[in-house]
Amino acid sequence: MKWKHKHLLGIDQLSGEEIRFLLEKGNQYREWLEQSPKKLTRLSGYYLINLFFEASTRTRVSFEMAGKLLGMEVVNFTNELSSLNKGESFRDTVRTLARMKVDALVIRHRSSGIPLYISQFLPFHIINAGDGMREHPTQALLDLLTMKRDGIDFTRNTVAIIGDILHSRVARSLSIGLKKLGSQVIFSGPPTLIPKGIEVLEGQVVYPVEEAIRQADVVYLLRIQKERQEAGFFPSAKEYASFFGLKEKPKGPDGRWKKIMHPGPVNRGLEIDSSLVEKENSLIEEQVSCGLAIRMAVLETLILGGQTDE
Amino acid sequence: MNKVLIKNGTLILPQSNRTIEADVLIDDGVIVQIEPGINDGKAERINASGYLVGPGFINLHVHFREPGEEKKEDLFSGSRAAVKGGFTSVLCMPNTRPPIDSPLLISYLLSRAREVGLVNVFSAATISLGLEGKAMTDLGLLMNAGAKALSDDGKCVKDSRLLYLLMTYSRYFHLPIILHEEDIDIAGEGQVNEGSMAVKMGYRSLPKVAEDSMIARDLVLAHSTGATVHFTHLSTALSVKLIEWFQNQGAKVTADVTPHHLLLDDQSIIQYGSRAKVKPPLRDQTDIVALKEGIQRGVIGILASDHAPHTNEAKEGDFNEAAFGISNLEITVPLYVKALIDDQSISWLDFWKLLSFNPAQFLGLTKKGSLEIGMDADIAIIDPETHHEVKVNEFVSKGKNCPFDGWQLKGWPVTTIVNGKILMRHSKLEA
Repeated sequence: MKWKHKHLLGIDQLSGEEIRFLLEKGNQYREWLEQSPKKLTRLSGYYLINLFFEASTRTRVSFEMAGKLLGMEVVNFTNELSSLNKGESFRDTVRTLARMKVDALVIRHRSSGIPLYISQFLPFHIINAGDGMREHPTQALLDLLTMKRDGIDFTRNTVAIIGDILHSRVARSLSIGLKKLGSQVIFSGPPTLIPKGIEVLEGQVVYPVEEAIRQADVVYLLRIQKERQEAGFFPSAKEYASFFGLKEKPKGPDGRWKKIMHPGPVNRGLEIDSSLVEKENSLIEEQVSCGLAIRMAVLETLILGGQTDE
Repeated sequence: MNKVLIKNGTLILPQSNRTIEADVLIDDGVIVQIEPGINDGKAERINASGYLVGPGFINLHVHFREPGEEKKEDLFSGSRAAVKGGFTSVLCMPNTRPPIDSPLLISYLLSRAREVGLVNVFSAATISLGLEGKAMTDLGLLMNAGAKALSDDGKCVKDSRLLYLLMTYSRYFHLPIILHEEDIDIAGEGQVNEGSMAVKMGYRSLPKVAEDSMIARDLVLAHSTGATVHFTHLSTALSVKLIEWFQNQGAKVTADVTPHHLLLDDQSIIQYGSRAKVKPPLRDQTDIVALKEGIQRGVIGILASDHAPHTNEAKEGDFNEAAFGISNLEITVPLYVKALIDDQSISWLDFWKLLSFNPAQFLGLTKKGSLEIGMDADIAIIDPETHHEVKVNEFVSKGKNCPFDGWQLKGWPVTTIVNGKILMRHSKLEA
């Protein structure tokens, strides 16, 4: 297909057809990843900057690897190294980057809306790697790819997203993506972490968590950050684990285990019991591999405009 | 075995809004038969002729002071006072020493209560850790350990954000929140109601706005979050109006009063001194009228006690240093008869709803608060006519801090049955 977007700022901008296109391409790369040695030259000569204003290991490494596997040159630019610490304004930093004449920029920032803002004046492809509480499109795409590869039919699928919906860009992007592919979405967790106005994401809020899990085919647990407890959204880790954490393998009425997913990094014993992370019904580790594959698909599609000659 | 037959009483059935003449048969702690002319040779008979028989009274607000202040009251003395007062279930406030703020403490308290084994003792847990008003307790774990409600009673929750998050969070567990309302920045070191009495006596005042402004804030929070919120010991006319308005908007808010706020006003301080020093302070006649109207209109759906026993030392001497609180559990019922039945504000049927059916509903006690086959055999029998004098020195409660000494009251409980066991028979404690 002819790809019409210059940037990937959010899942919200994509149509169902475009998501399916990226998933198909991601699926091919996921297959290809199994071979060694692996090196493609499809994007050789293109330059990628990883600009992370928020701590991240897996996403940054995943983009870096995705770029390198496609033959790109990758430059990492982290907050600690940036001139922002020397008093330069954010806008000036970004404008300086604009003169570097690279081809694509992956950006993560704690403020919602930053990728959209810089896309308005930077001359190259912008890929949102997570902005504040708004979007994390490659996370949603990798989650969808993981589900697709597990054989899930999106039109007959219900995903329960459980935990800190309020602060989660993952929950927002994933639920938007799922709805575009025809899935049902359920939210559950402490009522303090489920925002008023959640109707806009078109999911049902279901209490208690046990009931949400009962209705779901896939149980998607969100990471709980320690500072949410310190900020008073729930009283203690012990209470969270007791009422909102996954303690046993969820089973469907047909006796089959429901799939468990998590964007990582996992707090073992908090949102999910440690014994469940590596169980056979857990897709958590496969999500990481799918992340690499989908980022390859995204980079290639944005830069080459969706036209590939296999 | 263990059968009790209550003969010839007038039965009050608050659940079905009826009063009937019939007998009640109890077997093994459960009500098994209600009809006229029951005979059972094996059952122990209680003659209730001329008396009112209804579900045992349930008190949403008592301080049994255990653990930590056993010289003021303990679970045994408090339970006996409850039996004498016709109360078969009580909800203890958690502002003990230490406060009931952990699952371990509530388990301990409830196991102590089972050991005492007289009335059904339930407990609230605190809203905030250590009653400090900063961080919320593990309320789900507390509920699983047996907490029936949450309250920082004795203190107001000052932090609006804490209360907002708590109310939102509590919905998950359907756990009601009981609020003691008093803006401490306004109340400060206040002692008595603001007004002529405070001026005349030269005492610092506890103005109504300290209570009303907090109630207004928390009504907004309750309405916005959808939490179940109960305002305890209401004392002002404006608070009744505020609550009624929010109830009409669909907020899940309820309220209770105490008998002393219906029977005494701030002028009582002259006569009773520190024995009438209580929080909230005794207000004025317009407030009393408004509270009674609030009860009649159903805005105030529960009659409680705020039974707050203290040692004599804590109440004597310097008025400004004296503790707040009134010991009243064993005379709560006749006091309410004087306040509400004598002037025909409410009927006996309403009386039983306010003191048994409604509090049972509030606490989610599905087997209590109704006189019905299959219900727990918790029963109060009242003599509606005979007057007796209140003798505080005969209180079985350790707290003798009570201004009603010497009052002539009627409507005394004569027999109290808890889980099928007769704990008071013909005004004599058997516990």
